This record gives sequence, C-alpha cells and structure tokens, in this order.
Amino acid sequence: MGNILAIAQKELKSYFSSPIGYVLIGFWAFLFGWFYINILAYFARASMQMAGMGGPQSVNINQDMIRPLLYNVTILVLFVLPGVTMRTYSEEKRSGTIELLLTSPITDFQIIMGKFLGAMALYALMLVVTWIHVGVLFIYGHPEWKPLVGAYVGLLLLGGCFISIGMFISSLTKNQVVSFMVTFSIFLFFWIISWISSSVGPTAASVVTYLSIVDHYDDFGKGVIDTTHLIYYLSFITFGLFMTAKSVDSERWRG
Amino acid sequence: MIEVQHLTKRYGRVTAVDDVSFRVERGEILGFLGPNGAGKTTTMRILTGYMPATEGKAIVAGFDVFDQPLDAKRRTGYLPETPPLYPDMTVLEYLEFVAKIKGVAGPERKQRVNAVIERTRIGDMSSRLCSKLSKGYRQRVGLAQSLIHNPDVLILDEPTAGLDPKQIIETRELVKELAGDHTVILSTHILPEVSQTCQRVVIINKGRVVAVDTPDNLTARLGGSQTIYLQVDAGESDPSVVLGTIAGVMRVVETDRHEERVGYEVESEQGHDIRRDLARTVVTSGWGLLELRPMRLSLEEIFLSLTTEETDAPAAAGGETANG
Ligand SMILES: Nc1ncnc2c1ncn2[C@@H]1O[C@H](COP(=O)(O)OP(=O)(O)O)[C@@H](O)[C@H]1O
Ligand SMILES: [Mg+2]
Repeated sequence: MGNILAIAQKELKSYFSSPIGYVLIGFWAFLFGWFYINILAYFARASMQMAGMGGPQSVNINQDMIRPLLYNVTILVLFVLPGVTMRTYSEEKRSGTIELLLTSPITDFQIIMGKFLGAMALYALMLVVTWIHVGVLFIYGHPEWKPLVGAYVGLLLLGGCFISIGMFISSLTKNQVVSFMVTFSIFLFFWIISWISSSVGPTAASVVTYLSIVDHYDDFGKGVIDTTHLIYYLSFITFGLFMTAKSVDSERWRG
Repeated sequence: MIEVQHLTKRYGRVTAVDDVSFRVERGEILGFLGPNGAGKTTTMRILTGYMPATEGKAIVAGFDVFDQPLDAKRRTGYLPETPPLYPDMTVLEYLEFVAKIKGVAGPERKQRVNAVIERTRIGDMSSRLCSKLSKGYRQRVGLAQSLIHNPDVLILDEPTAGLDPKQIIETRELVKELAGDHTVILSTHILPEVSQTCQRVVIINKGRVVAVDTPDNLTARLGGSQTIYLQVDAGESDPSVVLGTIAGVMRVVETDRHEERVGYEVESEQGHDIRRDLARTVVTSGWGLLELRPMRLSLEEIFLSLTTEETDAPAAAGGETANG
C-alpha cells in the first residue's frame, strides 16, 4: 500500500509541477461554467414561464437543473480525461524513467494502481470544482442533496472507466499527443454508441446500451445507486487496468 | 554475488544476447566491454529485472531475477544508460521518491538521501530541478539514485558516456570507492576504462562472450604478436624450417595441406612487418607463393572496433561546460 501511495502522490504532484494540471482544471472549470450558465438561463426561463401559467406542474431544481448539469460532465470528461491520462505511461517511456519503476522492488500492480489513483485524485479535484457551482444553487434554492451523492458516485466511477482506458492507451505509446488523440477517439466512440442505441433494432440496442459507459450513468444521475451499474463500472475499470497490466508486461517481453 | 548462466535474449529475429555466462564475486568490479550493439544494455536490463530473458538464468545477490524479482531488485542498484530522472522534480524530491519505491523505511530515508548526496557530491544541486542539471550532474544524480537503498549489487550502464575528461576521472574514482561495499558491473565501450577501473573484464561482441580475463592478461594477449597466413607450393621440401629462420618470426604452424600446397600461420613479433622477407624467401627458394595475408584474431578485431582513445567524444565533452 505504501508503494501505491508513493506512486499516486508522485503522479498527482507531477500534474502541478508543470502547467498541465492547471490547464486541465482551468479548461474544465471554463467548460463546466459555460454549461452552468446556459442551463441556469434555461432553467430560470422555464421556471418563470411555469410560475406565470400557474399550472399544477412546477420545475424541480434537482430534476431540471442539477441533473442535466451533471449529465454534461459526461461530455466534459471526453475532452479533459485524455489530457489527464496521456502522460501516465507515455512520458515515463519517453524519458526512460519507466526503467526506474520497473527495476524497483515494486509490482506492476502497485505501479498501475498508483497511477490510477493519482489520475483519479486529479479528476476528483475537478469534480470538487463543480461543487462551487452546485453550492450556489443551495444558497438560492432548496435542492435535495441525497440524489447528488448518487450522481457524484456515478461520475467518479464513469471517469474511472475512461481513465482506465486512457492509461491503457498511454501504455502503448511514447508519444503523449498520439496517446491523447487515440484516447479521445475511443472515448468519442463510447459516447457515440449511446446515440446509436436509439436508432438500431432492439437486440443490437441492448448490446450497444450495455457497452455504453454513459448510459450506465442514467440511474446514478437520478440519484439511484443500482448494483448492476455499480458492478458494470467496477468491472469495466478492472478490465481497463488489466489491459494496462498486460500491455506493460508484453512490452517487457518485446523490450 | 552475480551468476549468469546461458543467458539468451531475442528481439523477434534479432539475437541481442547469445548464451552468455559469467560470474562476479563479492566486492569485485567487473567491466563489461563491447562495441555498440554488443548486447551490454540488454544483459544489464535482464540482470535488473527490467525484462525477462528468452533463455537462461541469472542470480543476483542469491535471488533468481525471474523467480524472485522483488528480492533481487531490493538488493540491486541500477543506473541505466540514460539517467532516469523526472524533469519536474528537484534532486531532493527525486531522491526521496526513489528511496520510497526502493523500500527504504521512513525513519531512515532522510539519512540515506543525505548519505548519497554527500557520496556523489551533489549537495549544491539538491534543490535544483532535474531538468536544469548539466550532463555531469545528471549522471551523478543517477548514480546517487542507484545507491539510495545501499544495494549489494550495482549495475552501471556506461556511467562515463558523454562526460568530459574531468568528470570521467571523478566518476571512476567514485566507482572504485564503491567496490568493496558493493559488487559492481559496469559497461563501457572504451578500452582504457576497464584497465583503470575493473579487476576483471568480460568482452562481449554480437551478443557473445569472447573473453573473460583480467585487464592485464588481455592486453598481453593482444599486444604480443601478429600472425600471417602463408600458403606455398613447396614440392618435396619442408619450408617451415627455412621460414623459422627469418628475423622476427616467433613461430610457424602448419594449418592445412592439400597435396603439394601447404598453409602456415607465421607468428611474428609486434612491430616487425615480415611480409616482404617471407615473400622473398619463398620465391628465392623456388617455391610457389600461393597466398600471403595478415590474420586477425577475432579478439583483436573486436578490440579494433572498440574505442581506444580516451577523448572519444569531443562533441559531448565540449558541449558541456566543466561545471558539471
Ligand atoms: N528493444 C529492442 N528491440 C529490438 N532490438 C533491440 C532492442 N534493444 C536492443 N536491440 C538490438 O539488440 C542488440 C544489442 O543492443 P544493446 O543491448 O543495446 O547493445 P549495447 O548496449 O552493447 O550497445 C543491438 O543489435 C540492438 O539493435
Ligand atoms: Mg548500451
């Protein structure tokens, strides 16, 4: 465990000892802010209309504001997480520090977990940034906080899936830019298949929906922590990290 | 302390290391000498557990590097060809990180970091970013890193490559100091380096071990003589006696014979070019001169491809200022 934490700490620090960590968080905050303002404007208009009509239905801040807002995080990760994972292995391979790690008395598993936790910590920090925006809603409105727990757990796990894929891609190349591009394309693919699912036949749709990382977030977004989706995410992350381990190991054999 | 048995490593179809075996005793400095592409780095990477061998076995500090990698790695310090530094860390941060992952216990860490900083004389640089270090200091920090967990075995891949002459001397002195406490393997493609630093030398070429000896014995074996291959058609007579009387000839050995044609290896003293005398003797004796050519020992050929000059890398030495 000490080794995992040592690596995780090193990874997290490395984001902030170069501009990359600040750029990523800045970009994240900017995009999230943009979504926030748009959704807020829409929400304000809608609630005023509703109030004006005086109908039985009224808008709900959880359902009509926070939920779509956090759903947009699933788009944000598409752009930001490839930047978080692109360095994990590529940079170690390029600079030769991978030789230090692989000849130290630590296991591949510890290195992978350390890197994963380091990336997750940065991502968690990004999610914390969104609390500022959400917190404002608590000052001016009365949202329920319980569904938020589910939503954030879901977002964390969803990000974990993307991060595990990103690390796998990073382990395949020395080049950070290539790592970013390929990771982004794959994320895009996972995103797109959730749109496809609505336009194909029922059997294909169920397969596609199953594959889609984003579709599994729906229930979390409603505040429901469903074990099926929980297990799906955890298995996905395990699989991604397993692929990374395989890739690091086969690199060893090839040299 | 280190035992390598029939190590073979193939990259696809390329055989980088081919059935290499050698031993290193405790406290010894072994030089691993060979031209570029000989397989030095590959062998060292196998010994440090960076990559597995295709065949064979390696035991480091009593542990098989394949079966008990963690135990072996705990006792091995490694300086790769390029020092594995993290550009964004300061020297101190870097050494603390390495101490952690090399398994140095928390309470001892500070003391170990200070000890290696002192030993490698990098105190002035401890708060500098690794990316801002000169070549010489990068190498020293790399060396400090390899010593941090006080390993039994030190594996140094070309520790003097790219350094200026002053830095080279300092590094050699340091390595010599380290022997005794540590068992050292160091690789180099520079011939004089091994005679100055090492007690024993393994010469490797194209992945194969071609000689294992002390530096002095090797020099003697190489510098002593020159051999010429001669083929004559001497009819009934025996030329070897006559050839032996030529000035400078030390030995004449018959190597092949096809009816009238006889081949000899004629060994002469170093610095004596006997080819003209040989040819004249053959012709004046009325024999047919069929072939006459200098022979090279395989070892000598390898030595010729090694760098024999100390000032091998003027570009690297000149490019770096002497402050490092
Ligand atoms: N990763 C690799 N993939 C394929 N061939 C390699 C690899 N690394 C080294 N080689 C080849 O193996 C041989 C030995 O290389 P190396 O061990 O680096 O030699 P040295 O360190 O003595 O210069 C060379 O022919 C080199 O081209
Ligand atoms: Mg090499």
